[in-house]
Amino acid sequence: TQLKDPPAEVVEKVAFLCNNLSQTNLAKKTEEMNMIIQENGEDFTRWLARYLVTKRVTLEQNFQPLYNNFLIALNDPVLDKCIKEETYRNIKVLLRSDKRHAASNFGDRQLLKNLGHWLGTITIARDRPIITNELDLKSLLLEAFYKGQQELLYVVPFVAKVLLSCTKSSVFAPKCSWIGGILNVLAEIHNEPDLKLNLKFEIEVLCKDLKADLQSLETRNILKDTERLLRVPQQLGDLALL
Amino acid sequence: ELTLLGVTQFYAYVQEKQKVHCLNTLFRKLQINQSIIFCNSTQRVELLAKKITELGYSCYYIHSKMAQHHRNRVFHDFRQGHCRNLVCSDLLTRGIDIQAVNVVINFDFPRNAETYLHRIGRSGRFGHLGIAINLITYEDRFNLRRIEKELKTKIEPIPKEVDPKLYVAEFQISEE
Repeated sequence: TQLKDPPAEVVEKVAFLCNNLSQTNLAKKTEEMNMIIQENGEDFTRWLARYLVTKRVTLEQNFQPLYNNFLIALNDPVLDKCIKEETYRNIKVLLRSDKRHAASNFGDRQLLKNLGHWLGTITIARDRPIITNELDLKSLLLEAFYKGQQELLYVVPFVAKVLLSCTKSSVFAPKCSWIGGILNVLAEIHNEPDLKLNLKFEIEVLCKDLKADLQSLETRNILKDTERLLRVPQQLGDLALL
Repeated sequence: ELTLLGVTQFYAYVQEKQKVHCLNTLFRKLQINQSIIFCNSTQRVELLAKKITELGYSCYYIHSKMAQHHRNRVFHDFRQGHCRNLVCSDLLTRGIDIQAVNVVINFDFPRNAETYLHRIGRSGRFGHLGIAINLITYEDRFNLRRIEKELKTKIEPIPKEVDPKLYVAEFQISEE
């Protein structure tokens, strides 16, 4: 999906605006951006969504709350829709990428974590669900477990970052069946004796943040259900065959 | 211990009266998370901060004539991300240790190597990426080469496009 770049002058205007966006000038910059959006039409909105997701939100994790407030202030349904599509698109690119060098590929894992945090922010934290059709978090964990250590290194921290937004939601809590179902799988993964220590920590920290007691989470031996593991929809890249 | 490792250094030749225009161009072309902009005097810090705030920049300023507690407050808020850019004079003695700062600009070029190192150098954190951009006037031209030599470093002319890999963290998002 190639998008046409807007004229250089517009690109530079957007860059300047984003370089200088802050909580204090949010209202003024929102007004400015609304003007730019109005002047440039829907193709631009699609480009802007891609720019914000790939160049800003993913790389400037420290300003994610700011960009979130910016989007809420812009209150543009078309832009919101494009932002969501862009977020899923980028997550899928990273999920499907080659994981063989996961341990050393810190960059990609960090980007996926940042995107996970962002996805939680624009869905769960706004009391909106992540539709299974768009991204199936539970299956993703099962698939990663089936495929191995490298995949888990990507997927567990990613899912943890997404679920972290439950602390900001009034609807999605550890007790709700959707979140609970995912936490149960995480708890089961946590019980695996040869799970990497940093992933164990990742799960423990998430439970602590969500005030969920890891020990009392139900485990249903879903990981031992090989039949089911074989049938999960494939969201990660294929295993590299020898 | 300050190091220039990981910092790519550029210079641009400008006249004094073109400096603000040049700064504008940089802020329209670069992808800046947070930046620090150095001036050579407290008066120029205040003037520049006032000028660019009018132009729509998000900026704070600190300089050596401000009370220490006030400075600390501003620096703390900058570190928290309350604003994106900080204009300042020479008072950071331990190097920049804010991870989000990926661009440092010498709006005025310093007079000696030690000052240059204190402005641009990073403390610890090996491998932390960033760029430094020096605005160089005709009068600065010998200083530039002298400081480059004294610090055994390389300060290159700024290219038309600065490669994001040099200063944008983990820049590798793949296109479909």
